[in-house]
Amino acid sequence: MAVTEKKILTRLYIVAGFLFVFAFAVVFKMTRIQMVDGDKYKNLAMQRTERMFTIEPNRGNLYSDDGSLLATSVSRYTIRFDAETVKDVDFEENIRPLSNELSKLLSKPSSYYEQILRKAKVNKNRYALIARNLDYSDYIKVKTFPLFKKGPNRGGFIAEQKIVREHPLGKIAERSVGYERVDENGYYTRVGLEGAFGQYLRGVEGKRLKQKIAKGQWKPIGLDNIVEPKDGYDVVSTININIQDIAHHALLRQLEHYKADHGCVIVMETKTGEVKAISNLGRTAEGKYYERLNYAVGESHEPGSTFKLMSMVAALEDKVVDTSTVLDTEKGRFKVYDRTVRDSKWGGYGEISLSKAFEVSSNTAFAKMIHNNYKENPEKFVNRLMNMGLHKELGMPIKGEGAPVIRYPGDKGWSGISLAWMSHGYEVSLTPLQTLSFYNAIANDGEMLRPRLIKEVKEWNKTILKFDKEVINSSICSKETAGKVKQLLKNVVEKKHGTGHGLYTENFSMAGKTGTTQKNYVSKDPDKLKYISSFAGYFPADNPKYSCIVVIHEPDRGVGYYGADVSGPVFKSIAQKIYTISPKTDEVEFLKPQNNELELKYEGYYAEAQKKYSTMPNVKGMSGMDAVSILENLGLKVEVKGNGKVKEQSISQGTDLNKVKKIVLELS
Amino acid sequence: MMKFFKNIKGDKAIWGVVALLALFSFLPVYSASSNLVYVVGNGTTMGYLVKHALFLFLGFGIIYGVHKVPTHFFKGLSLIAMPVVLILLVYTLAQGSSSGATNTSRWIRLPIVGFTFQASTLASVVLMIYVARYLTKIKDKVITFSESILPLWIPVFLVIVLILPANFSTAAIIFFMVLVLCFLGGYPIKYLMGIVGAGLLGLTLFVLTAKALPDLFPNRVDTWMSRIESFSNSEDTEADYQIERAKIAIASGGLIGNGAGKSVMKNFLPQSSSDFIYAIIVEEYGLIGGFTLMFFYLLLLFRIVVVANANQTIFGKLLVVGVGLPIVFQALINMAVAVQLFPVTGQPLPLISMGGTSIWMTCLAIGVVLSASIKRTSSEIQSMEMDETNPLEVLSGQL
Repeated sequence: MAVTEKKILTRLYIVAGFLFVFAFAVVFKMTRIQMVDGDKYKNLAMQRTERMFTIEPNRGNLYSDDGSLLATSVSRYTIRFDAETVKDVDFEENIRPLSNELSKLLSKPSSYYEQILRKAKVNKNRYALIARNLDYSDYIKVKTFPLFKKGPNRGGFIAEQKIVREHPLGKIAERSVGYERVDENGYYTRVGLEGAFGQYLRGVEGKRLKQKIAKGQWKPIGLDNIVEPKDGYDVVSTININIQDIAHHALLRQLEHYKADHGCVIVMETKTGEVKAISNLGRTAEGKYYERLNYAVGESHEPGSTFKLMSMVAALEDKVVDTSTVLDTEKGRFKVYDRTVRDSKWGGYGEISLSKAFEVSSNTAFAKMIHNNYKENPEKFVNRLMNMGLHKELGMPIKGEGAPVIRYPGDKGWSGISLAWMSHGYEVSLTPLQTLSFYNAIANDGEMLRPRLIKEVKEWNKTILKFDKEVINSSICSKETAGKVKQLLKNVVEKKHGTGHGLYTENFSMAGKTGTTQKNYVSKDPDKLKYISSFAGYFPADNPKYSCIVVIHEPDRGVGYYGADVSGPVFKSIAQKIYTISPKTDEVEFLKPQNNELELKYEGYYAEAQKKYSTMPNVKGMSGMDAVSILENLGLKVEVKGNGKVKEQSISQGTDLNKVKKIVLELS
Repeated sequence: MMKFFKNIKGDKAIWGVVALLALFSFLPVYSASSNLVYVVGNGTTMGYLVKHALFLFLGFGIIYGVHKVPTHFFKGLSLIAMPVVLILLVYTLAQGSSSGATNTSRWIRLPIVGFTFQASTLASVVLMIYVARYLTKIKDKVITFSESILPLWIPVFLVIVLILPANFSTAAIIFFMVLVLCFLGGYPIKYLMGIVGAGLLGLTLFVLTAKALPDLFPNRVDTWMSRIESFSNSEDTEADYQIERAKIAIASGGLIGNGAGKSVMKNFLPQSSSDFIYAIIVEEYGLIGGFTLMFFYLLLLFRIVVVANANQTIFGKLLVVGVGLPIVFQALINMAVAVQLFPVTGQPLPLISMGGTSIWMTCLAIGVVLSASIKRTSSEIQSMEMDETNPLEVLSGQL
């Protein structure tokens, strides 16, 4: 076979040609991938490799009205130990000192920690729990402990940070401070202030585009966040921690004493509607009390005798009666159709005026008053109540406000006896906060305010939003009516026969109404009969500052159940304490040693300095200091010789100031 | 330094292309090494860069050393190297079988330096020279098929059979390149057809044996099957995963690319620093970068043809083509895999991909080509051909 060079070359060109074709095919395919399928693969790249991450903003703080923290977000650290990554030598060398340090900081025995560490080592545990919920300063300390200071790789130190919401007040007002949770579907569970003002506290989530670089590893793309996270605003609530503390403890003591099921207290500032304290305590199976549900806002119940105020106001407004109208309590029984209204006092009160009926809380008198005056036209009474807004919710920002019930004639449940029963607080239903709002309106001479829990929304020191009092109804009744019932409320405590006279004290005045409501009265079983003891009112009786309601459910009947006995003392102790913590206005006058000469001189200078000059003033005789100050304020250059008072001035009085630049003063 | 450059001989264009490719290679290697460092968790990026530099430095040493060797020496050298290569291949295979892991049978691990060496790559170069030598020897004769079996096909098949179990694609490429070389060298085409037939038959037998007795060989057979299947029909396999990512890389590169080091897919493409480096290059430098790289390989091909053209001896021509074409061919295969023109194979991109053996053996081949490109006067050639005192020549003449 004869191979010529030419033959080789020809064949080589063929082979090279094929390679060129191959190369062209690659180029073609590559271009096709970009041009034809490019978008598809680019999208795929995005899907596979890019994801939007959210950056959680810092939640704002919740403050009390004086700037104390009610709720704040803090970092908590969980410390774990990776026993595998630590060298045996390091481990043995450091286990004792480390255990000792941990023991010192976390007050558990050193042996406890040594055991945990050794067990982790034996089990090759890479995630052994050492301590939970350490605060930042403890975390920093733990980080510097023997072994742990070698870091995560050599020291096996694992710290996990999480943000938790802390309530510096602890259990006090826990329910009212509340919380806000969001589930994976973005549905918020809102409780208390945290929930109500979540929109301010929450802030705005930031967005950051990240690129996947490996399983579970993402790196941020670009320098900036797509959306910058915006921290939540701080919310200043109206809660006052002192009053809250007083209310909480007064309520707690009474609940414990009466072994009651639950109770609540609300204290509201009369003029502004600001809720200063709101405490809800419920009994657990063990007989302890803690903040369970927001009874004050959520629990609508038959108010009982505290509702007599509403009946009274309605009747006075309609001018069907007056406080002096005399009614016969008929031995404490008043029969309406087949049912009987009874007074708590056996035998009744005889013939009494309406004001006394209010003060002694006579059911029969009130049933008679309302039933007799409105039975021809029950709509009139109900309309009056509705005009006062009693059938409407207050529109609180806190979720779960209980709906009030005021039946209208013809409604389901309405009957011939309804008027008589409504008159003293049955067949109607109100939440404690709704009742309080009414009492507050009376204290305010008829102006009904929406109870308010928020004062201000702030970003650092900058005010974002300020909340003022919100008027629900500028006049629920005439001033005249308000004045009359205020006197009645005052009498309840001050008059000897008043149901609230047990609260009376000479030191300060209170006004209010007791209420003792029967619960489960439909049941014939006397054991099931329970009571709600309440007291609503305000203090001081004249020119009221705070209104307050105390509602205690199901006190032990063996201990007592009258509103005056159960709830009244809570009211009194709150009033008393607020009274004593309120700053007195007795001022001690500041004793200032008077120096008349100096005063006069200063006044002289001040008068000179305030004048406007267009020509040179006469400064002769002034003290050098004053003269210099006045002249320099005129824009002159002043040269001073000697000290003391001005003897000579180089520019004489009356010279046009525009021409003068400099002046020499001679002092002596 | 100047003296060193004066000592550089041979085709300047090839020197230039190789130098440019080597310089460029630092960019994709450095970029893609982040995958190994941060995702796989081996070494440091600087470490890989230094290692690559070291490989290239030694590689250029090889080029320089080899191109100084007179072309005709390679005849004898290939004869000496052949048995060594076979022993290395047997050793590699034995080591791989005993260790049991899939990929290890491609490598020889040198015990002291901890460095791995892929014997098949060396075998490829040596075999091509060997075949070129044989073809030169029979250039003026009429041979029968049976005459060529012992000196030509036995060594070829030994090499291929030893590589095949561990590395099908390399074996196939070597076989193909041998066929091309034989075609160029005037080996009768009818015999070549027979050999192709025999090769296919042998392959079938091997696959069947491997299927029947899975423990006999390191089990790469399933991998080939799945790769080829996934190429022909599109089901979700691991190869698909790689190909899809390679395509994503190419597509996101656009015309001018994302910029050096800004590849995203390098973190998701296994072997992004070697087998799929072309996709990463296109992602970072765009179509322009991809085309330019392609252009340089084609330029290399062109220069190889020119050198083959210019060389006055048949051996020289065949030698240049025999060792030069596989470089370009391998490059094209690597690119073809990235663009899914070819099933997934483990072929690196010569001179660019990370990996010592690949770089050095490419350098060895380049050195051989450069040696053949050095112009010699006909008297020199005459004296070389006739140098009976050269023991290598004597050896070559005997076989």
